[in-house]
Amino acid sequence: MNVLLKKYFQIFKTSFNQEFAYRLSFVMWRVRNVLQVLVALFLWDTIFSGDRNELFGYDRNKILTYVLGLVFVKAFVLSARSQDVAGEIARGEIINNLLKPVDYFKYWLTRDVSSKVLNLVFAVGEFFLLYLIFKPPFYFQENIFQIFLFSVSICLAIFIYFSILFIVNTIPFWAPELAWGGHFLITVIMVEFLSGIFFPLDILPDKFLNILNFTPFPYLIFFPLQIYLGKISGFSAIKGIFVCVSWVLILLFLMKFVWQKGLKVYQVYGR
Amino acid sequence: MEDKDISSKIKFQNNWNKLKLWLVGNFYFPIKIQIMAKFMKRLAYYLAIWFKMSRNSFLVIFSRKSVLFVFLAGKIIRFVFQVLLIFFLVNGSKTLAGYDSNQTLFFFLTFVAIDSTSQFLFREVYRFRNYVVTGDFDLILVKPFNSLFRILLGGADAVDLITLPFFYLSLFYVGSLLSPSSLDVLLFILLIVVGLLISTAFHIFVISFGIITLEVDHVSMIYRDVTNMGRFPVDIYKEPVKSFLTFFIPVAIMVTLPAKALMGRVSFILVIISLIISALFLFISLKFWNFALKKYTSASS
Repeated sequence: MNVLLKKYFQIFKTSFNQEFAYRLSFVMWRVRNVLQVLVALFLWDTIFSGDRNELFGYDRNKILTYVLGLVFVKAFVLSARSQDVAGEIARGEIINNLLKPVDYFKYWLTRDVSSKVLNLVFAVGEFFLLYLIFKPPFYFQENIFQIFLFSVSICLAIFIYFSILFIVNTIPFWAPELAWGGHFLITVIMVEFLSGIFFPLDILPDKFLNILNFTPFPYLIFFPLQIYLGKISGFSAIKGIFVCVSWVLILLFLMKFVWQKGLKVYQVYGR
Repeated sequence: MEDKDISSKIKFQNNWNKLKLWLVGNFYFPIKIQIMAKFMKRLAYYLAIWFKMSRNSFLVIFSRKSVLFVFLAGKIIRFVFQVLLIFFLVNGSKTLAGYDSNQTLFFFLTFVAIDSTSQFLFREVYRFRNYVVTGDFDLILVKPFNSLFRILLGGADAVDLITLPFFYLSLFYVGSLLSPSSLDVLLFILLIVVGLLISTAFHIFVISFGIITLEVDHVSMIYRDVTNMGRFPVDIYKEPVKSFLTFFIPVAIMVTLPAKALMGRVSFILVIISLIISALFLFISLKFWNFALKKYTSASS
């Protein structure tokens, strides 16, 4: 195996094992995910319980697929370890990793991938458990091209989230006390509401949605699920993919730029 | 003459003592006053400690203004987003489990009022794991006041204190749109107190679990997620989840019931049952706390 690959594979393995060091903590985190999906499942099931066939452009099958799909898409996109970087910077521990012969971004991207794999394994189990208990109708996408676009959009969403996390992670370079505050505001509140986790974004009036589409947040969860459900297809889907690529490029550039600026002002507090 | 005076004084004293004994024997009147006085003194003592602890906590938060600003902004943005989404959702679907948009919003605002009040009072719970892991909990245990009081109420949150009046006003405004009667308002206030008692019990469970397993962060977040199920009326959930949320983890009693009381949809029997369940829940949590304390091993000291 290539030496470089071997190095990152070892990081992947170590990070994967580290998750098992705090088993109870990990199980609790997954329980939380199931609870959040449960609320959404019941809520939408109640809304569609009467003789209502369609609301906000969704039928019962599609809306419950959206909710169940959240289990997978969240595991793919939002499972990450790199939010810990902010704490490393605030405590000055980052210097240990910067001195190692490893690319810092690739190091965290590898750790993120290990977290995603582990979360995905659990997500599959949770999905089948919820499916067996509640037996909700599920919409299976049969169009191969849509599934391909869905996969591409997921990959791009992973990079968008990684860049957002790292940009937020740089806040402690200037304000160490905001290590958690920055994540609370951006990666908890903004991502939760503006990416479509809490509700599908198309329940909002068109004006709101049009403004939101100018931000990277809908491309994290909402956009991939819309492609899977076939609500965005053809030219609109390809156009959306191009917007995603643009966001990835803009955010990666911004991430590198802010990171370099941050490193220059950093004084390695606590070391 | 003097002998007569002395004998009448003794007679009066004896009669007075007899009367006091009779009063004590029949009405326990002086004992009650003593207990009350002792209770009030103890209450004042703990109130003074709470004010001191809260003042210290506020000083810490106000010394880091940027942190205060970010968390305040986060809480306000989250509140506005949730209200907007509920508004658009219920407006689009017309009703949610038979409730119109104002009523659904009132359920949500009741949840916010109880949740934020609990967060304001019990913020210290979220720092508890650190006390146990570092062994600092020993220092709390040796203090001359109740350690549970210190852990539960030791760090009131200034951010929540700032947002609370705004949340209460929103609750008052939307509540007034539902035109409740005086009895409905009275029951609502009573059940809000019951809700806060259940929330207290939940927090006691969390810290007790923290002593045994060293896991507080995720358990407290699971508590938040479970109580978050009360953002919407529990009528949206099906059995057995609905019963689970009513009797086992009484989120329904904590959040949905007060809101229903203001809408005049709660029977007197249900109020009594909720009082019994909340008292039972609090009692079990205190027993669990005592059990957990016996398991504490002071790991790092």
